[in-house]
This record gives sequence, C-alpha cells and structure tokens, in this order.
Amino acid sequence: MLKVNNISKKLGDFNLTDVSLNVSEGDYYVLLGRSGSGKTQLLELIAGLTIPDKGSIFLDNREITFLRPQHRNVGLVFQDFAVFPHMTTFDNIAYPLKVARIANSEIRLKVEKIAGLMNIIPLLDRQTTNLSGGELQRTAIARTLVTSPRLLLLDEPLASIDASLKDDITRLLRSINKAGQTIIHVTHDYSEAIGLASKIGVIHNGKIVQTGAPTEVFSKPVNRFVARYTGIRNFFRTTFKSDSGISTGRTEGGLELTLAGTGYPPNGLLIIRSNNVRLSISDTDKLNTNTFSGRVVEIVATPSGFDIEIDAGDRIFASVPEGDKLLSELREGSDVHINMAPSHLVCLKGT
Amino acid sequence: MSTRELKGDIFRWVMMLLSALVLLFIIAPLLGMALKTGRTEFFETVTDRAVIKSIWLTLSVSFAATLIFAVGAIPLAYLMARRTFPGKKIVQGLIDLPVVIPHTAAGIALLGFISRDGFLGNIAGTMGFSLINNPAGTALAMAFVSVPFMINAARDGFAAVPQRLEKAAMSLGASRSRAFFSISVPLAWRSIVSGFVMMFARGMSEFGAVVIVAYHPMTAPVMIYDRFNSFGLTYARPLSLLFVIVALIVFVFFRMISVERKPKPKPDQDA
Repeated sequence: MLKVNNISKKLGDFNLTDVSLNVSEGDYYVLLGRSGSGKTQLLELIAGLTIPDKGSIFLDNREITFLRPQHRNVGLVFQDFAVFPHMTTFDNIAYPLKVARIANSEIRLKVEKIAGLMNIIPLLDRQTTNLSGGELQRTAIARTLVTSPRLLLLDEPLASIDASLKDDITRLLRSINKAGQTIIHVTHDYSEAIGLASKIGVIHNGKIVQTGAPTEVFSKPVNRFVARYTGIRNFFRTTFKSDSGISTGRTEGGLELTLAGTGYPPNGLLIIRSNNVRLSISDTDKLNTNTFSGRVVEIVATPSGFDIEIDAGDRIFASVPEGDKLLSELREGSDVHINMAPSHLVCLKGT
Repeated sequence: MSTRELKGDIFRWVMMLLSALVLLFIIAPLLGMALKTGRTEFFETVTDRAVIKSIWLTLSVSFAATLIFAVGAIPLAYLMARRTFPGKKIVQGLIDLPVVIPHTAAGIALLGFISRDGFLGNIAGTMGFSLINNPAGTALAMAFVSVPFMINAARDGFAAVPQRLEKAAMSLGASRSRAFFSISVPLAWRSIVSGFVMMFARGMSEFGAVVIVAYHPMTAPVMIYDRFNSFGLTYARPLSLLFVIVALIVFVFFRMISVERKPKPKPDQDA
C-alpha cells in the first residue's frame, strides 16, 4: 500500500539516509526511535510537507513523492496536536471539509458522526483553548479521520497526554486500526509499540535499522541499539567456545554460561530480557544450569512491579512482578541466586 | 525592619520616583496646553470649517495610506517572519530605515521620487495629475515614515504563530494561500491590527515629510505649524489641543476594538 523507496533528505546537520519501508493495507506500523532520529521528518516526507532529495514514495502504486500534501490523501496528527486555537472543536474538525468545499449540511453530518466515534460530541461548541490534552488529541484525530485518509500518520500520539488517558487513547487507536485504517505511528517508547504494532521499524540516526513483526524485533534485535531500545538492559560482552557440540560463553564479568544451539562467533554480545532472569533465595535452585550468586544493589519500583539490579560479577537486571512472594525477602545488599535459561540468552548479530 | 528590607524599600521608591518624573514630563506640557487654552478660542477652533476639513483630511488620508500599504506590508511581514534568505538582515535594515532618518530628509527623498521629473511623478503626470500638494502625495509621505510600524508588528505576530499549525492546515488539504488566510492571518490578527493602529497613528501625526511633499491641502500638523509660524503660540494652541484630543480618541477607539476577546470560562476538563 505505502512504499517508501530509498528516501534521503538533508535537514541542516541531520540526514535521513536511504530510508525504505513497506506498509500493507490494514497494518499498524510503529516506527520506533529516539527523539532526533528522523521519525518526524519521515512522517513529514510521507505527508508531503517536505520533499525528499532522493528516492520515491508510492501510495497504492501511485507515485506521490512530489505531490502537494492536499492531493495525497494522507492524514497527519502532530505530536502536540496542532489544533487550531482560534476555532471551536467543530470548526477544527470541519476545517478539511470546508477546504474541500463540501456542502454545510453534509459537513455537519460528517463532523457529528466522527465526533460520536471519538466520544467528543459535548465538546463540539467549545473553544479548543479550553480542552485538556486527551480532548485535544481526540479532536486532532477526528479532524484527520474526517477526511477518510488512506493512511493515518501519528506523531508521538501518546507523548503529550496524561498517563491516566494513555489507555483510553491506545484503545481508541486500536479500534480505529481494527476498523481497517492503516496507521503509521512514530514513538520513542517501545512499550507503546508492543501493545499496538502489527509491524515495527526501528530508526536510528536517520536509518531504519530493523523491521519486522513485534515478536521478531523484540526477540531477535539485530544490534545493541535495537536491543536497548526494545527494553533490554542485560548486555554481556562474551567470548564463545564450542566443545563437543555444546556451546558456552564466558562474560567479561566472569560468568560461565551454557548456551542453546551452536554457531556462535568467537566474540559477541549476549543479551537476555530482564523478565527472563529468574531470582531465588533457596539454595536448592543453585544446581540449575546458568545459576549464579549475586548481591542486590538496587530495587526500583516500575508500573508492573520492581526492577532488581544485581552484582554477580556482571551487572544483571531482573524484573519481578508485583505480588511475587520473593519481594518480601529481597533487600538491597541481600544475597540472591540468578538463573538465566540457555534458551533465553540471545547472541546479537551486530554489535 | 531589617537592613535588607529597608534597601528593598528605598530601591522601590527610587524606581517609582524616576518613573513618575518621566510620566510627568509627558503629561505636564499637554496638561499645560489644555489649561492655557481659553474656552472661547477652543470653541472657535472646533467650529472652524478649515480646521475640521484639515483634521478630516489628516485622518482619512492616513487611514487610506495604512489600508493601501497593508496590502504589501502584510505579505512582506510574513516573509520576514517565515523565510530565511541571503541579505535578510539588509532587508530588515531597509524596513527600519524610515524610522531612523530625519523625516524632512525622507520628505526630500520622496519629493524627488514623486515630482514631475521623478519616476512616480512622471507616471502620475501622464495620467493628468500631480502628486505634489495633493492628498495622494500626503498619503505617500505618511506611509513612507510609518509603514515600518505595521511591518514589524505584523512580522512579530506571524513569528508567534506556530509553523506546525500551517503545516497541519496543509496536511488537511489547504493550499498555502488558504493556510495563510485561514490560519496565519487570524492568529496574527491582533498584532496586525496593532501594527495598523500604530501606522495610522504615526501617519496622521507626521509633519516633517508631509510638509515638504504637500504643504497644501494642509493636514492638521502642518496647519498647527502654519498658524504658529504666522500668528504665534496663542493662535496655534487651540488647534494643537483639538488635534491631540482627536488623536487620543481615535487611538483609544482602535485599541479598544483590537482587544482580544476573552476566552469563555473553562468548564470541567475531563476527557
């Protein structure tokens, strides 16, 4: 449906280089990257607000690279919503319809229909300067959806709203996508991507470094950046060995690890997600493969439980869900056993 | 009271005293003029047909000049707010030039331009009229010295409009010009109107450039000068007072209509 082919664009000191991406009908494509990685610039190129120096963009097999924004049928919702402050909510949503010279009676019907879907009918007569972040977001999405765009572009749609409203907006976005709307959503927050994406692209320094289904990107990150970006915090620089079909690795911190499968390089980076690191206090667990002793350095609360940082020669991060019995026994400075199952240890292809 | 509090108090009093002196400096001569003008002379001036004609000419010509020049000044202000181009600082310097040069010099420069030998004067000549001693010439003189106020105010107004709102409008199907007229202009409207008022006010009070380009028909500032020169202070005073009052009324009126509407009170805000 959308094909971006080898787009390059110089923007001051920053370059987007050879960016390609493919989005199919009905996809929820999440583009993940730090701020300043070129995500917003890429959206503006797709929306036609800027023109690439090189490369081409096709939508439904029609080249739109140099087409004006108003002729692309692509809707863009800005990070800070860009709701027009001198208009009411109604006039904001009606704006693209008025521009398209649609009859007033039809405008009213369309605006009311989309406002109903977005749950903002009571706001229609309000000045937008009086709206909250969540209300502004719904208005901005309604204003874009009312044009029935082939492709909806969302720039950090959850970044500027209160945490308490994020679930609401996430549900809304999911339902819009389920109704058949193709979406590209850019974000710096991988946790947003997990819940929403049918496809993920990771962008770094103006280049897309990995694309794939969320499970693929999260379980097999191609390099340290992607791994870190997808929430992985355990990285071990490791020297690998293979002896009679069994692969092992020795980390810089001195951990001797048994690994699953074969074909490891002599040196590389080994990762494991912190929720796959098992902790225990009982000595009996010491006998399992890849179990080490360590000392708890820090316990930090997270929305879903606690992150435990352990010194076992290497620094290891483990997450323990809320309500786990173990939590009552863990203290900063206490001893703990760490288990990392071979199947959860992944060697990165790149560094 | 601690020493620090005492010092703070003294500082505040010194600041207030200095501010009061400056305000007094502005008010005292005007008040003096008002007090020294006799009721009879003032009444005679108010009913003097030549005076009324002159004030009406001043206001209407300045208003027309402001309106006509807004057509070019607003796009220029927008370009200055949005675009970067080589020589932008020079262009900004040119815009400010009329404010810093002596207005009589501006009048002389303009006279060369609009006299029969000049470019514009020549064109007017072929159309059968002269710009010298003509309200059109007066309008040009007023505009020359006052248009920077409009350009600069509108430029600041446009610069304060977030560019992404224009981008949003374009992504919603608006052309560049539609985005300009439906988003940029309404959002910069207050500054544009403020610039309009400043240009209009500055234009109607202009003397130096106007007197050189068009002594006749007399605008109010020229008439004040003419009366002072021919008959002295006492005779010039009532007209001066009347024009100050008219200028104040006009200025306050425009300020009032350009004040932003207050947003409606905030109802509850839960999404």
